[in-house]
Formats: sequence, C-alpha cells, structure tokens
Amino acid sequence: MAPLMAFARADNRWGLRNHVLVLPLHSALSSTAREIADAIPGAVALGHDWSGEDDNDLERVISTLSGCAANPNNHSVVFLTLETPFEKEIVFRASSMSAQSLLEVSLPQMGSIAALTVSAKEITANLVVQASLEHRVEAPWSAILLGLECGGSDALSGITANPALGIASDRLVGLGATSVLGETTEILGAEHLLAARAIDPEVGKRIVATVARYESSINYEGIDLRGAQPSRGNIEGGLSTLEEKSLGAAKKAGNAPFTGVLEFAEIPQIPGLYFMDTPGHDIEQLAGFAAGHINIVVFTSGRGTPTGSPIMPVIKVSTNTPMFESLTDLIDLDAGTIAEGLETLEETGARIFDEICEVANGKLTRAERGGHQEFALSRMYGTVLG
Amino acid sequence: MRYLVAAMRTLLFLDPKDNIAVSLADLEVGQIIEQEEITITVLNPISRGHKIATQEINKGAGVIKYGERMGHATVDIKIGEHVHTHNVLGDRLSSEQL
Repeated sequence: MAPLMAFARADNRWGLRNHVLVLPLHSALSSTAREIADAIPGAVALGHDWSGEDDNDLERVISTLSGCAANPNNHSVVFLTLETPFEKEIVFRASSMSAQSLLEVSLPQMGSIAALTVSAKEITANLVVQASLEHRVEAPWSAILLGLECGGSDALSGITANPALGIASDRLVGLGATSVLGETTEILGAEHLLAARAIDPEVGKRIVATVARYESSINYEGIDLRGAQPSRGNIEGGLSTLEEKSLGAAKKAGNAPFTGVLEFAEIPQIPGLYFMDTPGHDIEQLAGFAAGHINIVVFTSGRGTPTGSPIMPVIKVSTNTPMFESLTDLIDLDAGTIAEGLETLEETGARIFDEICEVANGKLTRAERGGHQEFALSRMYGTVLG
Repeated sequence: MRYLVAAMRTLLFLDPKDNIAVSLADLEVGQIIEQEEITITVLNPISRGHKIATQEINKGAGVIKYGERMGHATVDIKIGEHVHTHNVLGDRLSSEQL
C-alpha cells in the first residue's frame, strides 16, 4: 500500500487538496467571487444565495459557511464581505476552527466592486503562489475524513456500488480514518439496523431519535413523501418504497460500529464511523459534509450525475455498467461489474479503496477534471424576510 | 456477507428470508426461470433491476428484501409477478388508509 500523502495544517488537521477558497459572505458578491476564482488557477469560488437574512435558518447558514471556510482542504480563504455583524460572526467562527490564513476584503472599505475585485485578485494570486510552495508529506490514515453519498439510486445500488463502498469504508475505519454516512431521509426504514451497530446504547438512541425527529417534522407538515421518495427516477430504476431505498443506501456504511451522530455541519472529533443528519438533496448534503470538514467523498449513483464540490474531491461510482459506459466523462469507477458477474463485491470494494487512496494523494476525479463545483445552502424554512 | 456472483444467473437472491428476487435481465411474460432449486414462470414483463415474487405474498404481508421488511403487499401477489409500486407500499411516511 502506497503511503498516504497530504498537506499538513498547523492545527494537526490534514488537507487532501490545497485550494485557495474565495468565499463571498453575501449573495451580492457571489458573481465577483466566481470572476476572481476563474481568473486564477488554483483558486475556487463558493457562490451562494444567502443575503444576510436573519431568520430561523441563520445558525444553519453561519455554521455551513464558517465550516466550509475552515475545511482542511483549503490552503487559505479570501472572504468577500459587506462587513455586517453576521458576516463577522462567520469569519470569527472560521478562525476559531482553522489555523489557515483567512483574509477579508470588504466592499465598504474598497468603495466599489471594481476596486474590491482588483484587490481580491491580487491577494488570491499571492495565496495561490504560497500554496504552490507547499508539499504533501506522509500522513496517518486519520487524515482521511470520507463522506458517503448516493444519488439517483436504482435497484442495483444496494447490491453493487453501496455494499462495495461499505467494504472500502470499513477498511478505512479499521485503519483509523473517519467515515460519515448522511441523508436522514435515506436511512428511514433502516435505522434499527444502524442503531444495533452503535458503540453504546446512547449513540443507538440518537440514530433512532434523529430519524424520528425527521419523520415527525414530515408528518407535522402533512407531506406525503411517496411522491418524492423514492423519486420517479428511483421508481423507474426498480425501487418501490422508501424503506427499500434506505436498506440499500445504508449499505454504504459497511458493517463498522457507529461511533457517533453528528448534527448538520458538525465536525467529527475522533476517528470512526458517524451518521450526520443531512437532507436527501445531494448538493445540500455535500455542503453539510464540507462544513463538517469531510475532505473526500465517494458518491454512488444508478442514474448518473455530474455533481462535484468546490471543496472536496468527489469520486463517482456507477451501480450498473450501461450507465458507466454512457457517462464515462462523469463516472470514475464501475461497480456494475458485480451484477455482470465479472467481479466479487470484495474485488470492487478493493478497487474503490485504492481509488480513494489515489484521489486522496492528488489524482483528479472526473468531477474535478470537468470543473463541477456544485454548492447549495441547506435551509429548513421558507425565506420570509428580505 | 458475500453476495452470489451473477454470472449466468437471471435472478439475484439476496437473503434466504426474502420473498422476492432481483432480476438481472429484462424478463418476458411466460419465460421460465430455473434457479436456486425453484422454478418461476414470469407473469409480467420485468425490467432489469426490478423485483419478482419468489413466494406467494398475501395482501398486507411484508415484502422482504435483504432479509428486512421493505413494505407490505397491497394486493395478493403470485409467484412470478412483478413486485413494485402497483402492489407494494412502504409502511412508513404513508398517508394510506387501510
């Protein structure tokens, strides 16, 4: 096994990438952030639509943006701000979680978008040069914080790609890495199986309670999820019920014991397997992972997806070979080989493990190569102000 | 757990407790499948990845996949029938009135 090579951060965390993140703290500066990052190779922008709303989602937004800023894959961050108190809170929280350089360029101080752009480009370019001088060094397995994601599931998801990913996840957890399963919607119906694997009864109760909290919120809203879960695509793929989808989705987490339960965007403190309370929407859920300092993701899909992230490399694994062959520019690995009779689950699991190691060491994913950098803030409530 | 490798197989039997199997090919009406010591005559067209009943499932009884309950039958289901949203409903988050 080749050694793991990563970027050592001053606070003992490890980056698998070395981006300079250009992070607007108000939607008014999102296009500017993109313009700056597009002009400078090595910089990435994280555009979003939050405009400083002080509503019930404020804490969720602040923890998402500050967590993303402090993600260990960032070499440094250039905040673009309007200098409002909420923005100051985001910068403050990010600095309390991260030893990386966090710089701020403010519109009130610069006087115009044009002046801000010139200044931020200069600062970003200098940081990119500094980042280019850093080298990967040998890292422990605990450097890997793996996110487990699935989307566009089909009936083969729970038979091919998900259990093969589970094998890779178990092996990483056994070596001392961290692995995080998300998507509360998609463990509903399988939570009793996950809870039975909790390291103690308290963690098991929290897994069940997290799903119950979600279920009661849905029932309170009077929503009949059957129209949305399983989705029309899932149903065409052969999945009939939410429980069926969940039983297959949970296989991504292998058979390791669950060390803990994380709130959306919460950072795991010790290595192990976790469950994070995230929504089923793939891009929102990836934002929760990035904010929780996950630094690499494996995304299994039956229908195919281009989804990537500005912060984390996302490895795409197909559940069936026809989809892999039609979307070769989007999908990194094919697990449909299991259904074709060409590979055992263990062999595919080993291939996924090897790919995680190579991508952790710097190999570009299809999503990175294609420039796919999706990001969406997760909101629980409708916007009533503004 | 080691799943059966699918070479030369039409159906995937995931767990001994299951009353369905997953089809690895598009199945035609009348097709006869002999596998795992049972013989099944296909009663509906069934797409690859979809489920076929390997046991009689009475209305209200659990549909079992991966050895776990994934919902219940809304009508009586015969061996060889397509098992999907037209005859199965989840037990949870459903507004169904029984």
